[in-house]
Amino acid sequence: MFTRMNGIVCLTMALLLGCVASIATADEALDKAFEALKTYKWGQDRATLGAIDAAVVASHKDDAAKKDLEAKLVAVLKSDAPQAAKDFVCRKLSLIGSAASVPALAALLPDEKLSHMGRYALERMPCDEAVAAMRDGMGKVKGLVKVGVINSLGVRRDAASTAALVGLLEDSDPQIAGAAAAALGAIGSPDAAKALGAYQAKAPKELKLAAADAYLACAERLLADGKANEAKMIYMTLAKPDQPKHVRLAATRGLLAAAGQK
Amino acid sequence: MQNKATLTRRDVLKRTATALATAPYVIPATALGAEGKPAASERITMALIGCGGRGTSVMEGLVANGAQVVASCDVYRERREAVARKYQGKPYADFRELLARDGIDAVLNATPEHWHAVVSIEACRQGKDVYCEKPLAFTIEEAQAVVAAARRYDRVFQTGTQQRSDGSFRFACELVHNGYIGEVKSVHTTPGGTSRHCSLPAQPVPPGLDWDMWLGPAPWAPYHHDRCVDLWHWWNWRDYSGGLMTDRGAHDFDIVQWGLNADGSGPVEITPPEGGGKNDLIYKYANGALLYSGQGGWGSNGKPGAWVGFKGTKGEVEVWRGGIKTDPANLAEVKIGPDEIHLYESHNHQGNFLECVRSRKRAAADVAIGASSVTVCHLGNIAYWLGRPLKWDPVKQEFPGDEEANRLRRRSMREPWRLC
Repeated sequence: MFTRMNGIVCLTMALLLGCVASIATADEALDKAFEALKTYKWGQDRATLGAIDAAVVASHKDDAAKKDLEAKLVAVLKSDAPQAAKDFVCRKLSLIGSAASVPALAALLPDEKLSHMGRYALERMPCDEAVAAMRDGMGKVKGLVKVGVINSLGVRRDAASTAALVGLLEDSDPQIAGAAAAALGAIGSPDAAKALGAYQAKAPKELKLAAADAYLACAERLLADGKANEAKMIYMTLAKPDQPKHVRLAATRGLLAAAGQK
Repeated sequence: MQNKATLTRRDVLKRTATALATAPYVIPATALGAEGKPAASERITMALIGCGGRGTSVMEGLVANGAQVVASCDVYRERREAVARKYQGKPYADFRELLARDGIDAVLNATPEHWHAVVSIEACRQGKDVYCEKPLAFTIEEAQAVVAAARRYDRVFQTGTQQRSDGSFRFACELVHNGYIGEVKSVHTTPGGTSRHCSLPAQPVPPGLDWDMWLGPAPWAPYHHDRCVDLWHWWNWRDYSGGLMTDRGAHDFDIVQWGLNADGSGPVEITPPEGGGKNDLIYKYANGALLYSGQGGWGSNGKPGAWVGFKGTKGEVEVWRGGIKTDPANLAEVKIGPDEIHLYESHNHQGNFLECVRSRKRAAADVAIGASSVTVCHLGNIAYWLGRPLKWDPVKQEFPGDEEANRLRRRSMREPWRLC
């Protein structure tokens, strides 16, 4: 005899089986996507990685799932997977990466083909380890790659990089020196201001404007932090006749703003 | 020498007067003119950066309003040289070289979206005024950086959202501002959906194209025709565009923001369609007004393109390029009185920019307006990408307590590019 209770039990069983089947299917799809990722190259169907995209988004507020995904992604990063595959991994880690990903991402920094994608993830990751890895990496890389790492440290306003960045103002590569000036301007601390102040007179001709711009940015940071007197000193320096007109005007407006701040 | 402790506001004003005496607000145009053109002192010398279809078209509008093109820049040699030949200007392969030269008052930045902030900021830093095609910037943080640069150097900055210079849109927003439709309950528009990831194979880079420069701050990828040629291709791809949400949304949401008096602010909640479906994405403003953003694109709902509909407690107003419809119908005949709210009046977007370059007044679609409008686009995209409702603080410019969403406010730029 089929009772009401039997019906409920059957329905529950069916739903449970459905859920289990659905989870199994999702797991299979994810495994398949990670398998495809190992050899993924540009030109292959991006949809084959769709299960990873979905899993990363779905891992919100599910720390265990996030950790599992992160570990699988890092494994691909450590493998000899193609550039496109590692590019994909860095994009995913830029969203869910934690301190656990940092060593594998930091290892990409010296690689001309993957350095940017390493920073693509590290720059977005809020953990201190990500910034520390870029700070450490800055001293180990050269040329354009170094410019990129300096730029990322500027974005993160890493005050702990100040001393190293001050040293790089003297670099013979104008791209590196210009990046260091910009990063110091973004950091915007009194120490950065002091270094940029000294740099104004020393900067080579092609970097004069970049140096002034960084100094203005620094003044804005100081002003925002309530350090009006420090900001005023910068604006007074940049309002002098040796600066281009638009810089002098920017400095004059800055002086007005600083004078208005109590 | 005066020290920091004795510097007063009066001192600063004296300095200002001195500085202004040596730097007149009316920047003189530098080139000589042809017959029938405005006098040399009235003419603005301009450069076009990004010589594709949109750039050349907008530049024609600027020239018709008195600009003189003296330089052009594009990663495609053929394009920059064609513009240089047409206007007898000088072609440049690198915008930094162009911006560093004297004799240019303003630039038209008509590069693809992923380049907008870098080029606009460098132009401001070099003391040039900027007309930047919409959307203003590729990310929320980049939009803020463009505002900071424009303000730092007090540049005149026009965002290419030309509906701000269209009388129909202004009138519709004035009806809303003055309460003719009562309290706004909802706003409707159909910009379209977001962009996609690109996976195209490598093709040989065509002669005359600097592919590395085309990519610029975007992640490296192999050249493919369909990745980059013309906006019909690149606006599909997430590394270069936010898709229709930023391309069309920059127009549509700009009017929504104008009508809701939300310039400089924005929505506080964003809800994507459940399960990634095709229903509308819904924004909520602090006053409770809901904004429904359709994914079908312009014209998909039987309405004209660039259509925005405001629904209030006392009536409705729909507006599109070239038309307006109200309920009750007689609202369309209203004359906004002298004591009522009048919004910024511009009848010609390019002409307004050039007038402001001369007068040093803020343009109709000033950079801060462009920033808050494009932020609405980006908020929608981030909600699409994360697939869940988000809360947004338009003052702090952050998603409160949502680390993943906050990560998407920025992107890392490929070396050597940066925002400053």
